[in-house]
Amino acid sequence: MLVKPTRHDFELIGHYLGRVSLVVAAAGCLPLIWAAVTGEWHPFGSFVLMIGVFAFLGVLGTRLAPQDPQLDWSHGMVVAALTWLVVPPIAAIPFALSGHFGTPLDAVFDSVSGLTTTGLAVISDLDHLATSLNFWRHLLQFLGGLGIIVAALTVFAGPGGVTLYFGEGRGERFLPSVTSISRFIWTVASVHLVAIVTTLTLVGWSILGFDLHRAAFHAITMFFAGFSTGGFAPQSTSIGYYHSAVFEAVASVSMLAGVMSFGLHHSLWRGPRRDAIANLETRTILSTFGFTLVLTLIGLGATSAFTELTGLTRQGFFQIFSAHTTTGWSTISSSELSGWGGLAFGGMAIAMALGGMGNSTAGGVKALRVGLTIKTVTNQVKQALQPEHAVVGATYYQTGRRHLTHDTVMAVMTISLLYVALYLLGAGVGVAYGIPLQQALFESVSASATIGLSVGVTDPSMPALLQIVYMLQMWAGRLEFLALFSLIGFVYAALRGK
Amino acid sequence: MRRLQLVIVTALLLAIPGVAMAADEVSVSDLISESEEMSGVEIIVAGELVGDYGFRGDGWMWTQLNGDIYVGSPIREGGDPVGGNTGVGIRMPSRLGEGLGAPGGYRSRGPNVRVAGIWKHHDPARQGESYLEVTSMTILEPGRPMGEGPQWIATWTGLALVAGALVLRLRDRPVA
Repeated sequence: MLVKPTRHDFELIGHYLGRVSLVVAAAGCLPLIWAAVTGEWHPFGSFVLMIGVFAFLGVLGTRLAPQDPQLDWSHGMVVAALTWLVVPPIAAIPFALSGHFGTPLDAVFDSVSGLTTTGLAVISDLDHLATSLNFWRHLLQFLGGLGIIVAALTVFAGPGGVTLYFGEGRGERFLPSVTSISRFIWTVASVHLVAIVTTLTLVGWSILGFDLHRAAFHAITMFFAGFSTGGFAPQSTSIGYYHSAVFEAVASVSMLAGVMSFGLHHSLWRGPRRDAIANLETRTILSTFGFTLVLTLIGLGATSAFTELTGLTRQGFFQIFSAHTTTGWSTISSSELSGWGGLAFGGMAIAMALGGMGNSTAGGVKALRVGLTIKTVTNQVKQALQPEHAVVGATYYQTGRRHLTHDTVMAVMTISLLYVALYLLGAGVGVAYGIPLQQALFESVSASATIGLSVGVTDPSMPALLQIVYMLQMWAGRLEFLALFSLIGFVYAALRGK
Repeated sequence: MRRLQLVIVTALLLAIPGVAMAADEVSVSDLISESEEMSGVEIIVAGELVGDYGFRGDGWMWTQLNGDIYVGSPIREGGDPVGGNTGVGIRMPSRLGEGLGAPGGYRSRGPNVRVAGIWKHHDPARQGESYLEVTSMTILEPGRPMGEGPQWIATWTGLALVAGALVLRLRDRPVA
């Protein structure tokens, strides 16, 4: 029997949503200051309004102070799911008032895409967008990549942090407390921010010949998008705008840092460094990257697009690296990408679908699940080749030697199948709207695995229903389903419970 | 000042022999969709220069040429938001890029130009980059600043909400 949520449950959820709202209101002050400093007074007003809405709702929420603020598992999951539903529409206020979006739904679409670190965009005339709004787009990706709740947990450590942390699609505790994990994540992000932004600024200024302040602007926005594996870019031609192998190489470091799990960062920083190579997750992602790269290079080599090896390697490597890390930057146009067929398309699609590491800023099925799936299949084959009653045990190394248990296999298979179902769902809706299967599948995988590469389907003229489906795919893909199902269960219990 | 810039650029154009008047004029969107077919072809294309002017030490200046609806009707000046930009990277000898005025961005509409050059599709010499190598350029319309104004209703509504939040917060504080 389903138990109907009580007033206390709603107050508890509202209280924590209020706390998160206050943190986002504080984050909104950064683009506000940016707009004031640069004298962009049109977006300035919209940032004031957005901050006002977040702050007012935040205070209202936190006033719902229940006597026992202890979050249980289901409450935490519902808060996580609702956070990712409530924040994007309010964060979209500056976009909606900018004049660069045809409808409010378009503005919310870009907000959802930003926060979920997808990178698909329906913005019009990006090349004339105010720099403060462009900064906000990229800051949303940065916050979304680290996790809005992780950001909030850093500010207000307290009871319930564990479930909120897991609800946001994170599944690894490499430090004893969630607060220490949140702080470590911010430390990693800050160190990379300083190093990469400085390097990109120097590259932009000294090699690309940009003005220093413009070089810094490009560096900050590209770092936010790269580290969060989000894939927005300040100009409409994505990273191809820079026409520089050096800039691409430095930006790729931010993608690499983003796709690595924070557990792996911890191993590299504080040891044991052996884990960085020995882990099943690391070996899996290196293998799948190599496999999809070879596939794509062979596919591209068979076309007439590239006439020599250096260009083929640089362009092919970058597109696959961007796709596998689920970033979505591109050095080629979407119309050219949509023309890729055969092995090149296959390589890209597989790389996108598999995605990055768990507990990172990346999306997709995730390398550990892929590794465990391969391990399970291998184990099944071994079992089949043994005598009837023989038992074949399997272990794997992931920060220590572990047994591959039935429960682990079930969990891995369930989430992996849900991702496949999500990919097919969006493709089905796209096909129903008359989009060719290959393009519909590509765009659906791009939305679900939070990548952002587009073959031209995502556009302001796209059907509203398809836009909503893509938003739901980004949301479900980012949260990895658990929080989504908890929210559905909670709503069902509220309606039908006793 | 603008007139002087125009005179300088025109003089430079006249100084360069073989301005590609015989080349076909194409749109930026055609250039993107038929990129491979146009590889190595001398073409003329018109549009707005946007983003940055990257004067590199090797004698080239890189920027972006947009050929979309916003060249004629920018959103800041009442144009409708009807889709993304359509742009390609271009590079030109640095001397052509001097004195162009601000590139297109939030505060300015960039120079509207017609350029002639060779389209390089996945140029082997630049590890597969695609871009237009400009040999000559005509300024059809110089760039100009675009105005903007504050959104008073949004600003005051936002301030009222922040004030409301502060009042509620202060009321919740326990009295010492």
